[in-house]
Amino acid sequence: MKISNRQFAEALYELTIGLVEKDLDTTLEAFVKFLSKNRRLKQGNNIIVEFEKIAKKKQGIIEIEITSARKLDKDIVEKIKESFAKQVEAVEKIDESLIGGVRVKLEDRILDASVRMQLINLKKSLTT
Amino acid sequence: MSTNQVIEELKKHISAFQKTVEVEEVGNVIEVGDGIARINGLTKCQSQEMLEFPGGIMGVALNLEEETVGVMILGDYEKIKEGDTVKRTGRILSVPVGEQVIGRVLNALGQPIDGKGEVNTKDFYPVEKVAPGVMSRQPVSEPVQTGIKAIDAMIPIGRGQRELIIGDRQTGKTAIAIDAIINQKGKNMKCIYVAIGQKESKVARLVAKLEENGAMEYTTIIVAGASDPAAMSFIAPYAGVSMAEYFADKGQDVLIVYDDLTKQAWAYREISLLLRRPPGREAYPGDVFYLHSRLLERACNLNKEHGGGSITALPIIETQAGDVTAYIPTNVISITDGQIFLETDLFYKGIRPALNIGISVSRVGGAAQTKPMKKVSGKIKLALAQYRELEAFAQFASDLDVETKKQLDRGARVVELMKQPQYSPMEIEDQVVAIFAVDNGYFDDVAIVDMTEMEKKFLDFVKVSRQSLLGKIRKGEWDDNIIADLKEACEDFVKIK
Repeated sequence: MKISNRQFAEALYELTIGLVEKDLDTTLEAFVKFLSKNRRLKQGNNIIVEFEKIAKKKQGIIEIEITSARKLDKDIVEKIKESFAKQVEAVEKIDESLIGGVRVKLEDRILDASVRMQLINLKKSLTT
Repeated sequence: MSTNQVIEELKKHISAFQKTVEVEEVGNVIEVGDGIARINGLTKCQSQEMLEFPGGIMGVALNLEEETVGVMILGDYEKIKEGDTVKRTGRILSVPVGEQVIGRVLNALGQPIDGKGEVNTKDFYPVEKVAPGVMSRQPVSEPVQTGIKAIDAMIPIGRGQRELIIGDRQTGKTAIAIDAIINQKGKNMKCIYVAIGQKESKVARLVAKLEENGAMEYTTIIVAGASDPAAMSFIAPYAGVSMAEYFADKGQDVLIVYDDLTKQAWAYREISLLLRRPPGREAYPGDVFYLHSRLLERACNLNKEHGGGSITALPIIETQAGDVTAYIPTNVISITDGQIFLETDLFYKGIRPALNIGISVSRVGGAAQTKPMKKVSGKIKLALAQYRELEAFAQFASDLDVETKKQLDRGARVVELMKQPQYSPMEIEDQVVAIFAVDNGYFDDVAIVDMTEMEKKFLDFVKVSRQSLLGKIRKGEWDDNIIADLKEACEDFVKIK
């Protein structure tokens, strides 16, 4: 059976949590050897990506993506971050088609408070 | 309305508009193939939910897997790229239903394709719906008149029945269905014709023919053309029956034709294989039986407490070289309440409709037949059965006894009587009178080649001289007086012809 990247990453996280540096090295070495033996080394990069996600989730860090029409002030970005959780890693993006306001992406949900969306909604309410 | 009023109205609307934060659930396309896509994310996605791709293309979630969602794309999948954002809509696939769909040509999603403008309906019904249960149904009791002598006499169909029309290509399967639709004029019946994987030219011809006969006033046509994606062919029958259910819920009677379910099974096979569901016999997926059974189970005859509506289904199956033992034909034969079997040999012998009476059956329709028809058709069936038995044997015998000769002659005339040209459905009372005359030997001295003409003359004669008698038969009355009157009419006709 094919083992998915996430399963590998979860296993690795379970194995490595709470280990001291010396044990960590041996565990990692064993893990890489296991991957090579099963010809899974190609998946390595993707496992690292998954591992990062899992580690952040376990530590309570939330990743968000903030899209706005213009570059936002530091303060505003901080305020947006605060409103989600204590530990937030934010990626900022610029998309002029939003016209104004912000759009925040959180995992697979999008909170859309952009002017474009308001206008689309207004159009809907006027046409129906 | 003046300009100012318009502006005021607009201002009112705009000031009443509430600013809200839209919450959308999204995923990313990780793979696109012929008509399907695999999507990452969308963790809360429901089965059968509509998903929106960029550019307004819609999809339906079919496979919910551990990491991904398998989606069937309804539309132009070539415009979808890897990495595109896909939004949840929270809606189950549904189609517009209502009186407005009557007389229209729609695609599988209920969008008009006849260029007659929008279909503005208030109601939407989900495409997939669970069929009515045992407690809301009643036995079939009212007939559906197809206007085809052979069917109404020997393979009667009742309201709420599912009667399969099966045969090779070019044997007149669609012709029977279309004749049945044309014959519903003025019989308080809505009709829905679902064309699945058909040539657009054929559909255009059918629409023109139905319009010509005034049948579009009560008919809806749903088209999933041969060039449309397989997803459309898969959905079209469900969309059709959803529209039919609206009328049935209102207590009306509906006749729905699925032309044909073989192509729907092909489309479903294509989608299933692309979604990597394991193939079974003839490469169809394991649930291909359920595909048809859940569709045909939605045909029903509702009891009075549930409005008393009905949906009669005429599914069509195309066989290859008369092979009814293939997977899909056997499945659908077992689901339906009988089948009308059409044969190429009979078609080329000139027996049209090319019905093979011997293996065609109607398992429940007999209960729905009107009394006069039941009385006259009983003997006809027997005469035909005897004729078939003697026919083969008589080819070798040079001199036959009088009784056998008589049976052969009668049988040949019955076969001739059952012939009927396309687009010329007959009223039930005409059928009864014609069958009665042949059955009682009044046409025995007419040459076989003159049968059609004689039948027409006879019917004209009865129509002119015995109008009230026909009216009684139409109402389903049948007693010794009527029989005596009919006999008298036949004798009068024999004298003058």
